[in-house]
Amino acid sequence: MVRCNCSRRDFIARGMYGLGLSAGLPFILNQTSAALAAQALQGTSIEKHPNRILVVIELSGGNDGLNTVVPFGDAEYYKARPKLGIPEREVIKVADGFGFHPSMVGFERLFKDGSLAVVHGCGYDHPSLSHFSSMGFWHTGVPNGGESLGWLGRVADETLDASQRNLIVNLGTSQSLAVRSRKHSPLVFDDPARFRRDGTDAEKQALAELSETRTTSNATLDFLASTAHNATESSDFVRSASSAYRTPVDYGQGGGLAGNLQRVAALIAAEMPTRLYYVTYQGNNFDTHVQQADLHSRLLMYTADAVRGFIDDVKRLGRGDDVALMIFTEFGRRVEENGSLGTDHGTATPMFIVGKSVKGGFYGKAPSLTDLDDGNLEMTTDFRRVYATMTGEWLGCSQTPAILRGQFETFKVFA
Amino acid sequence: MTRGSLRPLLVVLLFSVCALTVPASAWVDPPDGWKGDLAPISASDWNAQRAAHLIERAGFGATPEEISRLAEMTPERAVASLVDYEAIDASALKPFEESGIWDPGMDPFPPSRAEAVRRAREHGEGLGEKVLPPGTQRRLQPVVDKFFYSLTANNIETQRLGLWWAKRMLVTPRPLEEKLTLFWHGHFATGQNKVRDYRMLFQQNRMLRANASGNLRDLLVGILTDPGMLVYLDNGENIKSHPNENFGRELLELFTMGVGNYSERDVREAARAFTGWTNDVLTYKFDSAEHDFGNKTFLGRTGALNGDDIIDTILAQPVTGEFVAGKLYRYFVREDISSDVKAELGRSFRASGYQIKPLVRRMLLSKDFYSAPSVATQIKSPVHLVVSTYRKMGLRDVPTIPDFGRMTGGLGQTLFEPPNVAGWAGGRTWITPATLLQRGNLFRDVMFPDVKGFRPPDRAMSATDTRVGERLAQGMNITEATREGDAESNKMVDRDEDYNTRYGGYAGNLLAFKRTKPIPRQPASIDVTAMITGAHADTVDKVVDHLVHRFLSVPLADKDRAVLVSFLHDKLGSSTVRPSETLESSLRELLYLVLSTPEYQLG
Repeated sequence: MVRCNCSRRDFIARGMYGLGLSAGLPFILNQTSAALAAQALQGTSIEKHPNRILVVIELSGGNDGLNTVVPFGDAEYYKARPKLGIPEREVIKVADGFGFHPSMVGFERLFKDGSLAVVHGCGYDHPSLSHFSSMGFWHTGVPNGGESLGWLGRVADETLDASQRNLIVNLGTSQSLAVRSRKHSPLVFDDPARFRRDGTDAEKQALAELSETRTTSNATLDFLASTAHNATESSDFVRSASSAYRTPVDYGQGGGLAGNLQRVAALIAAEMPTRLYYVTYQGNNFDTHVQQADLHSRLLMYTADAVRGFIDDVKRLGRGDDVALMIFTEFGRRVEENGSLGTDHGTATPMFIVGKSVKGGFYGKAPSLTDLDDGNLEMTTDFRRVYATMTGEWLGCSQTPAILRGQFETFKVFA
Repeated sequence: MTRGSLRPLLVVLLFSVCALTVPASAWVDPPDGWKGDLAPISASDWNAQRAAHLIERAGFGATPEEISRLAEMTPERAVASLVDYEAIDASALKPFEESGIWDPGMDPFPPSRAEAVRRAREHGEGLGEKVLPPGTQRRLQPVVDKFFYSLTANNIETQRLGLWWAKRMLVTPRPLEEKLTLFWHGHFATGQNKVRDYRMLFQQNRMLRANASGNLRDLLVGILTDPGMLVYLDNGENIKSHPNENFGRELLELFTMGVGNYSERDVREAARAFTGWTNDVLTYKFDSAEHDFGNKTFLGRTGALNGDDIIDTILAQPVTGEFVAGKLYRYFVREDISSDVKAELGRSFRASGYQIKPLVRRMLLSKDFYSAPSVATQIKSPVHLVVSTYRKMGLRDVPTIPDFGRMTGGLGQTLFEPPNVAGWAGGRTWITPATLLQRGNLFRDVMFPDVKGFRPPDRAMSATDTRVGERLAQGMNITEATREGDAESNKMVDRDEDYNTRYGGYAGNLLAFKRTKPIPRQPASIDVTAMITGAHADTVDKVVDHLVHRFLSVPLADKDRAVLVSFLHDKLGSSTVRPSETLESSLRELLYLVLSTPEYQLG
């Protein structure tokens, strides 16, 4: 178990806004009328599953879905991929005609445990083949819409108590649009060991005073001050939680994904109040235009190892029932391989939902490899159905249609 | 406001021109009407505050002495002293000294380790290394070692190149030249991570600098025939039978027009027109056998279009002028550009035949540039933050403890390593709770350097490599020495009996350390005592006011000034400042606080 000289109680007490009201509340709100009334006074909604955590993993660059979930039963696949196609004998077969890339042993394990759902053919109408546009559409959950907030940011705005800090954590060097929120200020950091204010006690005291929130005519200055204020309050907790964390689970190596998922596990172990974690596999790694076989194999192996390790680890922490993970990428790649042993930007691609509470298996309909839109797959699943599954079924939030700007049928992935 | 108390100090600083001391001594809010006004600022509105804004944006900030020199000029002269930089002698700037890591057998460099191995199997040698005789264990190991050597050695050379550039930014007499080169580096983003050849990045950097304030068409032709860019966007793979769209797409989306102004078909047709544009290592090569000479229709124009025709067609679009001018505006002036200003700057840019210099001159002279929404509203990029701090400290060399690249990299910006083809997003994306704390911490490391505990990144061994080295030293064999963990990826390192990748990484590192020049390590030579003595600041209040004035672009609230004053007062136990053994250290602590304020992030 984790040893940590910080407690959730300390953290929340220090992290509270509006001390006048919230400081007087019991720490864990029982569903008593008094607590409900107090909560109503704070203007928050009553959540159906207040302990559940959603972890979203972004595979940036456009993951080649066809070589990830391989349609080995379809001869068209091998016709389009004479050099890059994964030979049938190497595919890790898990369903009729479909299997994982041979390096995804971690996913095989999860699938056999019944903890992994594969959703076929995810995309949106009028797909963009630009990394930036398409990623923006996935981040906002509003394809071709020009929305300024992220879909997870809106989930937080609609369902989570805005007076509470650090309900969203984004592991990365910069903040993702996906977590941009109107009411919440996501906690973004990369290396927890470096997430600290250096200096003597006197210096830190002075800097805490110099970092107080303010309202001036300079909006950028106000933004900086409010970020500084949040950083001051949260960094000690995150750092000690991460540095104290020890786990026997092997997350594999590579890509920073393993390390970042282990950091998430550390924060979960330390009872950080975070409900939404956003983790990126950074650097456009999955953009495999050239000589992709070796690179793609490594990327998939790292991803599968890290996810398998993370799920094992949260189970070990006794939080397996409370954690679900969703994996996406901004687009798949073109059906036909290109002349450089790589693949160009494409459209529909599978998504993955992982967790102990997941009903494993395949969902949705695999896209046709012959009925193409200018060489690209026609999507069969609007990706917002998967988003709706995560927000509606998993997080239990009734405002899902408002958040996603429409009604999307969920997949009943969660029992 | 506390600026009133600066008056005596500034009288000293601006001793030469009395008329300037009045506007300079107090923070003057610009007239409301200046916002959006592209007309030039008049000489009567010129003062030190505005000169400081000019050099902050068109360069990397300056010392109070340099600012007062600019303030003494007319605004036209001040802007010209930055924009017409070709007239300034820059021959004292030191050239980059290459280590010479590349030997002829390494060209052309294979795209992956697997490909290096494949070629070596086929030819009996690869990367200048011979495959060992049949029957030898790990026959391909020398080739794999060399492959990893090249990756590390190029990384180190790129670090050295970044440091060379940073120093140039710090000491150049032509700051706008470097500021523009940095802009184009972000605009035409190319990264070592993919190119894996520092020579290409160095060559591209020189090309960008040579054209930085010239003509957009020359820059476009330069970049589209640039080996680094051709490799970065895989255009060597863009061939007639299999057009690769990457190059055409980024040209339209990121370099010239912006998304939404062309169709997917235009992307494909542009890609066809650039087929056969490739490189032979460090030179551009047109491979006519791979070029598609057929008819294409691009943005409404049909014919046997080639790459030059595509460039000219793009330059004929009004949106191109607006897109590029708008991006320059966001770099120099402010984040939000009104549609009127954008249309006007785009129109005049295109009408001038895409001359960059007049466009930049006009922006830097405009009232809009000096209006309230433009002044001290930009978040400094990490490179700007570090270089400008050193400039304001009056340093003449970039300290190497702490390491420059590691400082800016930790904040999200490494020279020659943009995050992706779109370059650095900038603005508020620089700031997260973690990077904001780091932005201050860095300067504590500069002022209180950890010389003993410093680990140079150009000689960094990963934990894995260190373990491999230790185990080999204990007499283990390669298989034993490289074994780790039980995850699938960890079982693969020794699966090919012809070589061991983990050992290759270790051996390649050692060779790279041997063949690259080490970065000389020295801490900063800062003298805060001299800064305040030079300014005749002999009380705690005056010291605080001097440092705030010297480093911040915005006034500090009274309450915050009071925090600094009481901090220094507590340290010194007095309100007068006298030389003592501990004075410098106390002043450095104070300066650390100033440089860690939210205000200091604004330029």
